[in-house]
Amino acid sequence: MGVRATMSGLPHPLPSSPVKGEVPPGEPGKIVPEPAERKEHKNMAFLLRRLAFYLAAFLAAATVNFFLPRLMPGDPIQIMFASAGSELSLENLNALKLTFGFIDAPLHEQYFAYIKSVFTGDLGRSIKYFPLPVTELLGRALVWTLGLVGIATLISFAVGTILGVMAAWRRGTLFDSAVSLVAIFSSSVPAIVVSLILLFVFGYTLRWFPNGYAANPLLDPGFNWTYISSVLYHGTLPMLTLVIVLTGGFAVTMRNNMINLLGEDYIVMGRAKGLADNRVMLFYAARNALLPTVSSLAIAMGTVLGGSLIVEVVFNYPGLGNTLYQAILARDYPVIQGQLLIMTGAMLVSNFVVDLSYVLLDPRLKKA
Amino acid sequence: MTLFKQLLGNKKALVGLTILVAIILIAIFAPLLTEYSPTRRVGRPHQPPSWDHWLGTTRLGHDVFSRLVHGARVSLAVGFGAGLMITIVGTVLGIIAGYKGGVVDEVINFFTNMVLVVPNLPLLLVIAAFVGQAGPVVIALILGFTSWAWGVRVTRSETLSIRQRDYVKSAEMLGEPSWRIMALEIFPNLISIVGINFIGSVIFAVIAEATLGFLGLGDPNTVSWGIMLFNAQNASALSVGAWWDLLSPCFALALLGLGLALLNFAIDEVANPRLRTGGMLKSWSRMVLLGEGKL
Amino acid sequence: MSAPVLSIRNLNIDYIGAEANFRAVKDVSFDIAPGEFFGLAGESGCGKSTIAFAVSRLHRPPALIRTGSEILVDGRDVLELDKDALRRFRWREVAMVFQSAMNSLNPVLTIEAQFYDVLHTHKGMSREAARERAAELLKLVDIPPDRLAAYPHQCSGGMRQRIVIAICLALNPKLLIMDEPTTALDVVVQREILQRIDVLRKRLGFAVLFITHDLGLMVQVSDRIGIMLEGELVEVNDAQTIYRSPQHDYTKRLWASMPKLHGDQIRPEAGA
Ligand SMILES: Nc1ncnc2c1ncn2[C@@H]1O[C@H](COP(=O)(O)OP(=O)(O)OP(=O)(O)O)[C@@H](O)[C@H]1O
Ligand SMILES: [Mg+2]
Repeated sequence: MGVRATMSGLPHPLPSSPVKGEVPPGEPGKIVPEPAERKEHKNMAFLLRRLAFYLAAFLAAATVNFFLPRLMPGDPIQIMFASAGSELSLENLNALKLTFGFIDAPLHEQYFAYIKSVFTGDLGRSIKYFPLPVTELLGRALVWTLGLVGIATLISFAVGTILGVMAAWRRGTLFDSAVSLVAIFSSSVPAIVVSLILLFVFGYTLRWFPNGYAANPLLDPGFNWTYISSVLYHGTLPMLTLVIVLTGGFAVTMRNNMINLLGEDYIVMGRAKGLADNRVMLFYAARNALLPTVSSLAIAMGTVLGGSLIVEVVFNYPGLGNTLYQAILARDYPVIQGQLLIMTGAMLVSNFVVDLSYVLLDPRLKKA
Repeated sequence: MTLFKQLLGNKKALVGLTILVAIILIAIFAPLLTEYSPTRRVGRPHQPPSWDHWLGTTRLGHDVFSRLVHGARVSLAVGFGAGLMITIVGTVLGIIAGYKGGVVDEVINFFTNMVLVVPNLPLLLVIAAFVGQAGPVVIALILGFTSWAWGVRVTRSETLSIRQRDYVKSAEMLGEPSWRIMALEIFPNLISIVGINFIGSVIFAVIAEATLGFLGLGDPNTVSWGIMLFNAQNASALSVGAWWDLLSPCFALALLGLGLALLNFAIDEVANPRLRTGGMLKSWSRMVLLGEGKL
Repeated sequence: MSAPVLSIRNLNIDYIGAEANFRAVKDVSFDIAPGEFFGLAGESGCGKSTIAFAVSRLHRPPALIRTGSEILVDGRDVLELDKDALRRFRWREVAMVFQSAMNSLNPVLTIEAQFYDVLHTHKGMSREAARERAAELLKLVDIPPDRLAAYPHQCSGGMRQRIVIAICLALNPKLLIMDEPTTALDVVVQREILQRIDVLRKRLGFAVLFITHDLGLMVQVSDRIGIMLEGELVEVNDAQTIYRSPQHDYTKRLWASMPKLHGDQIRPEAGA
């Protein structure tokens, strides 16, 4: 069992220890002589099954998108435009109805029309920036978000995991208590709070870091050091927020997984073999504890993506979150809906990457 | 209740509980703590903290302290309301899936996994955006509707292992109806998980309320910590130097989060004996230092 | 009798508790001669594993080996070794098969890597040399060398057991500790493994400390036997005496509670 460390406000919890039944258990005593090719087969089947599942999940998100406007009382398109407060020609309005699947046909045909447009990459057009396609608007922003989220996740996963390993190995020492304390803070203070405090302290008070934008707006984007350093400089505080918020959760997860393993016979045997301490700690204990930690990474991705939305708004960072914020203020529904699909897509891709690494990490993996 | 007794002996639990109780008391007695109305202009705009206004005023001249203590009511109500809903749904579905198995389990498990891979905040945002300006009750309902999946997953996997125990088997032999087994044999053994799920859901709901509010999806007429953040952000509180406007709800959120998280970590420690170090490690180290023995 | 390979003197081990300490091993002393097959029997929870762990100093807090205890291996007190000396001592002089030998192979490393671990650390062998040696060792326990590339989960329980034994023999230890190595196996495999150990012992000359609560099995394979009761060693004698004329009340009761399956078969040869 684990603490539902809420990863600071990022609406998605991270269980601190493996969820039983998630990690394929080794089946003691079972004779499974397994030729290498058959194993590869099984892995392929596993990955294909995951892919099919992700497709279904994406379909579910699209279905939510389809039905939400239809659950509104009145004519949804009219309401959407009224609350967005923009004027459109009848022609454009019709074009928009089409991308939402509002055609003169029974509901199921509307549904298939909508699903088809979603899967062909047509998410409609922004109302605020009509006729800019939603995919284009969000695509531009996605690059920044992915950079922010990707790097922050890597850093916090690495730091958190290492801290967790060392804390578990030195269990009960001052170091262990310190890590636990830091982890509790880190996983209980929401991203929104951390980002605002960092912005206040380092942005407004000390003026060490800029208060917004992804780079100095006066610079031309390009692959040169001036621009890149400006990007890094502007990205520091948003990144730091995410790292602060995420690291504690990973540390607790790893620590608890590892402590649960320390009594295992193969770890005692590693020590009995007279191996160096570090070898036992890393290749016997940590390597095995990493498996459930990696699977918790998949769930944490939702948290990370959600966190980046908030951080981007606070730091006025031109990623998905900020675009979304502007869309919410303008009630630009196609954009709000589009971000759900793009975020879901990003989540599914990162889950698949986690699946892949799981296959690489766990020789026992046969079925999910 | 041994779990409860053990919690009272846990330092983290005590600190967490103290923080939580203090905030709850403040919320209950909010009107007695301040003479100002949280929704009236009671001073000049953006006054720094002073004797008259402990935490200063907002751009509209509202008293920040008054809004903070009144806001605690809404934030806590949304938190506990939504937390309760999330926990009930998660626990019931989790026990049913884990105990019944078969098709029921597969269906529940499939939907649970599906909900788990759809990122939660973006989903919340879309729903809230279509609802319009969501009041506290609506926000709590949306949260309850979208966030139960984690609870189902942990409850289910724990139920799977409890199902194999002797007392469940013997109850089955005696022909007890399955709802009785689930309610009387399985549920009591899940208490710590249900507790962790509940507290985690409360933290999550409080923060989600603040986030939705901050992003402009809340009802601006309610007084909650999320709406305070939203107003302060709209008033550019930081760039005009009115830090108190923004940082007050920030610290309130952090403190509540910390208190609840401490409680949760404590339950985990108490319920999972492998994580508990207790006093024995201390006396062990002392004895080693005194040369009474070694490993 | 020649100088003992293992000599335990006044061993006291506590498990430290928050309020009270629990003494799991109470003033235990016994010797094992080179090449001897020594059995340690007693009911579950009497402290057998606690003694076994102490010999290689594998305990973790809250276990505490009390000052005054001595564990002499080849005349050297293991409890006096510093960290490095202890590391060199482990596996080279005392190797161990754990109670759940099935789970004592690291699930994420190949069998070969788990041999290489030992051979490289203690002998500085290269991968090739280690592979050759590992294949030789596997042959001793009748496992084809192509299993080296396998992961533990791809081997059966009995196979894993034999692999662990092969790893134990990698450095020609003086003493092999086997902590109920056979409880999880069926009777046939159990007997086969014990016979194999007996053969290897005679060939390689190591001593065995064999732990079980199955007294009947133990009498068949051991030279001498120690009987434990709640942390105390109540009787030590040669196997025949323990079987034919047990001295201590507890030993008698232990026999009385045993199903008389084994009849008069006292040596493994007889049962084979
Ligand atoms: N980590 C621990 N903390 C506290 N007490 C322990 C610990 N490990 C073992 N004990 C206690 O020490 C006693 C001896 O345990 P040990 O594992 O040595 O028994 P054993 O003779 O090997 O039993 P078995 O045949 O079941 O393996 C038991 O009563 C056990 O409850
Ligand atoms: Mg034992």
